[in-house]
Amino acid sequence: MRLLLLLAAAAVSASGANYFVTIAGLGGTPEYEAQFAKWASDLDHELKSNGPAARVTTLSGNAATRQQIERALITIASEARPEDSVALLLIGHGSFDGTDYKFNVPGPDVTARDFARLLNAIPAKRQLVVNMTSCSGASLPALARKDRIVITATKSGTEKNATVFARYWVDALKDPAADADKNGTVSALEAFRYAEGKTNTYFESEKLLATEHAMLSDSGSAKAVHDPKPENGQGLIAAAFPLMRPETGVARNLGPEKRNLVTRKQNLEAEIDRLKYRKAAMPADDYRQQLTALLLELAKTQAEIDR
Amino acid sequence: MKPAICTLAFLILAGRTAWSAADPPVGPSDQCQNLQHHGQLAQAQACFQTLSQNQNPFQSAEGYFGLGLYDQANDQFRLAVKEQPKSAQVRSEWGRLYLEHYQPGDAAKLFEEALEIDPSDAPAYLGLARVAAGRFDSKATTLAQEALKHDPKLFEAHELLAYLALEDGDAKLASEESQKALAANSEALDGMAVLASIDWLNGLPQSQWMDRILKINPVYGEAYATGAHFFEINRRYDEAIQYYRKALALNGKLWPARSQLGVNLMRLGNETEAKQELERCYEAHYRDPETVNSLRLLDTLGDYETFKSGSVEIVLQKKEAALLRPYIEPELRRALATYERKYKMKLPGPVRLEVYPNHEDFVVRTLGLPGQGGLLGVTFGLVVAMDSPSARPPGEFNWASTMWHELSHVYVLTATHHLVPRWFTEGLAVHEEGAASPDWGDRLTPEIISALQKKQLLPVLQLDRGFVRPQYASQVLVSYYQAGKICDFISEKWGDDAILGMIHSYAARKTTAEAIQDNLHESAAAFDKEFCAWLEQKTGSTVRHFDDWKRGMKAAYTDIQSGKKDDALHEALAARDFYPDYVANGSAYELIATALLAKNDKTGAIQNLEHYRDSGGTNVETLKKLATLEHEASSNKQAARTLAKLNCIYPEDEAIHRTFSSILLAGGDANDAVREAQAVVDLHPADQADSHYQLAMALRAAHRPSEAKDQVVLALEAAPDFKPAQQLLLQLSQ
Repeated sequence: MRLLLLLAAAAVSASGANYFVTIAGLGGTPEYEAQFAKWASDLDHELKSNGPAARVTTLSGNAATRQQIERALITIASEARPEDSVALLLIGHGSFDGTDYKFNVPGPDVTARDFARLLNAIPAKRQLVVNMTSCSGASLPALARKDRIVITATKSGTEKNATVFARYWVDALKDPAADADKNGTVSALEAFRYAEGKTNTYFESEKLLATEHAMLSDSGSAKAVHDPKPENGQGLIAAAFPLMRPETGVARNLGPEKRNLVTRKQNLEAEIDRLKYRKAAMPADDYRQQLTALLLELAKTQAEIDR
Repeated sequence: MKPAICTLAFLILAGRTAWSAADPPVGPSDQCQNLQHHGQLAQAQACFQTLSQNQNPFQSAEGYFGLGLYDQANDQFRLAVKEQPKSAQVRSEWGRLYLEHYQPGDAAKLFEEALEIDPSDAPAYLGLARVAAGRFDSKATTLAQEALKHDPKLFEAHELLAYLALEDGDAKLASEESQKALAANSEALDGMAVLASIDWLNGLPQSQWMDRILKINPVYGEAYATGAHFFEINRRYDEAIQYYRKALALNGKLWPARSQLGVNLMRLGNETEAKQELERCYEAHYRDPETVNSLRLLDTLGDYETFKSGSVEIVLQKKEAALLRPYIEPELRRALATYERKYKMKLPGPVRLEVYPNHEDFVVRTLGLPGQGGLLGVTFGLVVAMDSPSARPPGEFNWASTMWHELSHVYVLTATHHLVPRWFTEGLAVHEEGAASPDWGDRLTPEIISALQKKQLLPVLQLDRGFVRPQYASQVLVSYYQAGKICDFISEKWGDDAILGMIHSYAARKTTAEAIQDNLHESAAAFDKEFCAWLEQKTGSTVRHFDDWKRGMKAAYTDIQSGKKDDALHEALAARDFYPDYVANGSAYELIATALLAKNDKTGAIQNLEHYRDSGGTNVETLKKLATLEHEASSNKQAARTLAKLNCIYPEDEAIHRTFSSILLAGGDANDAVREAQAVVDLHPADQADSHYQLAMALRAAHRPSEAKDQVVLALEAAPDFKPAQQLLLQLSQ
């Protein structure tokens, strides 16, 4: 189930390193250069606030060349272990000629296949690529792979306008509201839903035709979806990929009584999860009654733990 | 209507020619058209059928045209033009085909081509006049007069001039032009139809002109359809429907009339019959844009929900009903109660308010044609249709002021039995906006200043012209402003009773001159003089300093960009005082606030932005910034005022409701805090858990613990480990 998976993933990331590589590509105009650099700098700042386990590399402006990008990813490939995680965040303009997706950087561009090759060489099993550029949907077929989450700002290579998704992805890492389940962690899935929702609202409120449609695939399939959920088999891995943990607490040494309470809490959470998955098949009153009882019990247990 | 754009018209614009006994048939289709002119429709159809088989492409085209087989006619016209490339007549007739087939742009091109071949081709000028008339373009009159210059006997041009004059409300000129048409052709049916329409508009249903028409053509339903059109543009929709029905009773195949019947039935909320009539048109292959778009809209009505409660019916799209209803319904009731007191009358039935989130749907609902971007709301009797706030970009539209504007029309149209002139009902509606809230209503825009500089305001007796057939790009907006100011002036000098008196005068079929004389006790000319002096007092300084304002704003922006903040502030303060009504994008207020905030003068920035807010400023980001500054300065009463205004402009903003809710809750206004917190939930925010939690907190403060518990359970369903919600659940469960 989602929650159990999340706990398992959190345990893995607690023992491994989290590599984040943010690249702001060529802007083309001073306005875009400044905008992309600012977003990259904001991401750098937010990701570094995750603490020393977060190994953050940010390349922008003239430093974001194909050579530098390759060097950064090859370095990670030499350092990372299977239990680590790697996130590659691409900001800027992309292009698609009908065959290849290209990330526009000073000098030779970097293709989706280049990125796939570089990422495939990294032993870290859990990988995330967030391609926030125009045409980014075209990068999905090359990047999709088992255990890799791929998020793109556009659904295909034909959505060529400069995107706004990146702006809201940055906001997702800053805004506590992105932590939808209030567990103190912003997962890749939560950040995706936040940014995708804000992007849609932007186009709706400005009465503009939406020129980008963000997609996610974490099933290894190149068929991404815009609404990841258990029914379409997407989003399970992304839900377990933590991006931000602003409430990271110090591990406490718990006595046997508290350990029992924590176990009880985890059981209740799992039971709530199971109940929620049965919701559609249950009479509404029964569901509500059972849910309230479980939530009340969970609240009491949490209060006991915090006492 | 805010602002106003009238419906497209009409049968006379299609331009069927009339024939008389004194004017025997000579053209290829004249014999057939003569039969049609005299109401011998079956014989006419047979005649056109025969003509369509003629080897001569032009004659064949006319035959198909008469049969209504547009594609075949078009093919034949194409051949005819190849055969007679130098014939202006063929191109003019081809243009008439396009005009009748609702393609005025293509028609205009053909008329222009005809004029290139023969610059004196009167039918081509007449065709262009008809195209212009269909667009309510003031060039229509000039073009019709040009046609007469080249063919003084072209009675159809007089008929069109009569029609245009009556659209402008000039019955005298309309009558004169009709008589000229009749002098040229004693069987000028459309001229007689205009004369009959004048009688009908004046409350004389038994017009002798209709008797004459029926003697010539017993099935000439077009005359009733013409009358229906004039009822329609005078917002007398019930009578318009009645006359379209009469038209169809004479000739059931008058598809334009049937389509308009459907459109008008839809306007008055009779959707079932509207759909039946429009579907009949569609099935008969009458598929003009109004018919097709109206049917498309009717197909989406399942997406809407109607809330009926006492004297109101509110129709909202299901997706936004939960969000908007708590704001719209109380405001609607407040407006109705205000107007009931003010106009001293009760409406004969419930008011129906329809709110459309898709602007194009709203336009189709109201006009039958998309693309009228400036329209915000329209009133049809007791039915008001308007844009939803979500239909427009943030800051462009104040739904509450638009609703007050339209509801004023409901009362004035009802009180006058729809006999009120356009300028008065629009002016009063603008005046009422300002009376309801001083920051609403029309502002003095640069376009209006330009009109004042050029002395382009119309005398009050001619002000309707500024609405119906504008002579310059911004004249409709200028006319709204002028009409609104006239009502402000009357209210200020003579009081609201004088306004009520004028309403009663119009109800008694008095003219504007009489209404002014009876209630203001002076002539229209004297009134104009006095009004201009009053307006000069109000606007003179701004008009005189308009160029100074432009220079000052330019200098201020240059200074701020080059870092000279003090200089920019100085320039902007002076500019603001030259033109305090300018609250559009890039206003002096916003620039001053930026400069003051750069100097950390938050108090000054707040004062300046409150001035902006109260002067009608609607920029959402600027007002949000003001609310934040006020909140930070613990000026929560003012912050609440700013946020309440934002709710009238952009209720789709989650942050506005969230902040408003917390301010209200802190101020002890739990019930309103519940409304605001509920709005956040209804906006389906990313942070579902927190939105339900905040609503639960407000409900608890409002002593509604059971509902609070429901909400906190929803918060925890989304985020079971959300500690503040857990604590609230425990408290509520004790």
